Amino acid sequence: MNLPLEGIRILDPSQVWAGPTCTKILGDLGADIIKVESARRMDIARGDAHNPQIEQGMYLDNEPTDKPWNRTGRYLDRNRSKRNICLDLTHERGVDAFKRLAMNSDVVIENYRQGVMARFGLSYEDLKKIKPDIIMVTLGSQGATGPEVAYGSFGVTLEQTAGVASITGYLGGDPSTSGVLFPDPLVAVASVGIVLSAIRQHRETGEGVYIDFSQREMTSSILGDMIMDYTMNNNIQSPIGNRHRTFAPQGIYHCQGDDKWISISVENDDDWKALTQCMNNAALENDPRFANAEGRHEHHDEIDEHIDQWTSKKDAFIAMEILQHANVAAGVVNSGEQLVHDPQLVNRGFWEYSGRGPSDARPYLSRPFQFSKTPGSTQLPAPLLGEHTEGILREVANMSDEEIAELAELGVTASDPLLF
Amino acid sequence: MSNLASPLDGIKVLDFSQGISGGIATKMLAVMGAEVIKIEPPQSGDISRLRGPFIDNTPHPEKSGQFLYLNMNKKGVTLSLDDTVGIDIAVKLIEWADIIVENFRPGKMDEWGIGYSTIEEINPAKILVSLSPFGQTGPYKNYRGNDITAQSLGGLAFVTGDPSREPLKIGGEPAEYFCGLSGFSGALVALTYREINGIGQHVDVSAQAGIGVAQQYSGLSYILTGNERGRRLASSPLYKTADGQVGITLRQTDWPGVCEMIGRPELEHHEKFKDIDAREKNQDEITSLISEWASDKKKQDLYHASQERGMTWGYICDAKDLIESPQYQHREYFVELDHPIAGKLTYPGLPMRWGSNQWDLKPAPTLGQHNKEVYSSILAWDDEKINEMKNSGII
Repeated sequence: MNLPLEGIRILDPSQVWAGPTCTKILGDLGADIIKVESARRMDIARGDAHNPQIEQGMYLDNEPTDKPWNRTGRYLDRNRSKRNICLDLTHERGVDAFKRLAMNSDVVIENYRQGVMARFGLSYEDLKKIKPDIIMVTLGSQGATGPEVAYGSFGVTLEQTAGVASITGYLGGDPSTSGVLFPDPLVAVASVGIVLSAIRQHRETGEGVYIDFSQREMTSSILGDMIMDYTMNNNIQSPIGNRHRTFAPQGIYHCQGDDKWISISVENDDDWKALTQCMNNAALENDPRFANAEGRHEHHDEIDEHIDQWTSKKDAFIAMEILQHANVAAGVVNSGEQLVHDPQLVNRGFWEYSGRGPSDARPYLSRPFQFSKTPGSTQLPAPLLGEHTEGILREVANMSDEEIAELAELGVTASDPLLF
Repeated sequence: MSNLASPLDGIKVLDFSQGISGGIATKMLAVMGAEVIKIEPPQSGDISRLRGPFIDNTPHPEKSGQFLYLNMNKKGVTLSLDDTVGIDIAVKLIEWADIIVENFRPGKMDEWGIGYSTIEEINPAKILVSLSPFGQTGPYKNYRGNDITAQSLGGLAFVTGDPSREPLKIGGEPAEYFCGLSGFSGALVALTYREINGIGQHVDVSAQAGIGVAQQYSGLSYILTGNERGRRLASSPLYKTADGQVGITLRQTDWPGVCEMIGRPELEHHEKFKDIDAREKNQDEITSLISEWASDKKKQDLYHASQERGMTWGYICDAKDLIESPQYQHREYFVELDHPIAGKLTYPGLPMRWGSNQWDLKPAPTLGQHNKEVYSSILAWDDEKINEMKNSGII
């Protein structure tokens, strides 16, 4: 089967979440991804090398083994479809090897703190000297310039500083962060298109480019309504829980069983009629106070009580089926277990199995899109630290066996982390 | 020579989509240089025009913040697809386009006779990008869905919020945006393949699958460890300041810095707080210590002071804080655009800088603004024909 991105090579020293997820998707679709790590500083998604934290790490089968860095859930999911080279970039021979890899790559994607690549001697200017048409993408939390450029952040920080948290939270309550560090996957999925746009420009003009991509700004970019409401009206939006600013009612309601829920969203008057008919509640249907969205917003609490009384006696899946058959937007609030068995995701092949051998094969997350002629799929299980070092040096950096042996002897390459 | 960034220069996009998911997908293509023709129903226009927020909170189709933000750099034309004449015109526009984007309910394009099989027949190099709540196939394909259904069925809401309360969605429309940005990236994947192999295809984006990717931890925890992650207290709890909230990270390496910040350096090695286990047992005491200390401080002062100490604290930015952010101001993230009816407004700009080139940002079209330009250049209509089509309600 053809892969849509065959022939593209990406040199990827990015770490943690956003960068690795972007390159995972590119790798699933056929790009050759060379993940660069160092024995001094592995991808921190690999967890603590000598003090594995079982709960945090989500280790495969809860077993860190004697090489826990190759078994954390975060690392395994985000690093499929890549080859791995372990290279010490604080050593001049490591830098030299990186440059020789860059000469035969199309794109470098990195998310080190500002200045780190320059300290290695691997800034865009440095790389341009050896490959004038290189494309380089810096996925910085704050971008590559500005007074806060050196500030660190995680997804949970960005939810705060980009504005998402200011409108997330229960109605009338304090702002809140999400349970999923949303900015990372958001940046990852958008950067796939950004990288391919740069490759397209290169195909047309022969020119490379340096792309300074701010994760914080990307996250603010999904807040069009909230920001425009302020720039137009000086209105500062605050959390409204599971409600919607236009649709009413909208909420997450109890269902039968422990921690079982359904979301229901009434977008218009027809939906309202359909919902009340599903509930067999003519009094609600005919109550003039609820005839339009304005009235339903005003009496949202009262309406919520009626809906909750109805849903709480129903199985969530049955309630969803009843409502969807009446053309009302409703969705089971899937737990982790339910998500893995979700009929729609399973039917569409969302879960993709990979692992090092049959006993380690598990279903991992695939992609938000499907392609009719070039589907793409997991190409390789997540690599061990330094698993492909020799092959990459031989084939991509054109190194001789002697040079490769020398780098290993100098400790520039390695297959185990250096423990301090 | 211009110094404008335009990496997608020369790409022609026909945009049947409405609302947020389609709006952001084709906006990304448009601002990066593609020529995007946006089709809107005559009279009512894109649904975003009806949803606001509106200038002065007064509904007006040309003064919707949602529409204005999502439709920069596009050409706007009106066309009724409820009419066979309209469909024939749509086919001609499809012939013109490299990429076609739509977010109707699955199957609707086929009913009109302009589904992927027709498009492929016209020219197999064409790319159709379909955005939908659940995808074009599968048992839920005909289900209704929007932002909250995607956050629910995609596994995100279950792990967000207070463990003792109902699950919580992320505010705004993040699932719609995630779906649209996936559509942008999916279009570029298909375009990359087409530019090398000359073959187009159908790109099928699911909002539920998008959130399925975004939730990560909930699914992985169950798959790899058998445990539900569930709703849990934030890894970076928020504390009230005099003017808002700060998020304070309490990893092992942060603890000495936290003690120093709150002016209690002696607590660093205190029996009750010396390691993670001890601190977990005495979490309430830590919370009250930090809360009391933070209550009369300013959130931005704490943010900057912590970051200068190498800690990754955040502060809750509302819209005003974003506009006033020194970082955003330095990077000129916000831009001002002048729209013929909405006037001068400040908009979020693009999150990426493209070498030393500038983005060429233009305001969203008014309803039917480019009818004359588009229909005369692509369909070779004269003024008389345009008027005739307008009077008969086709455009």
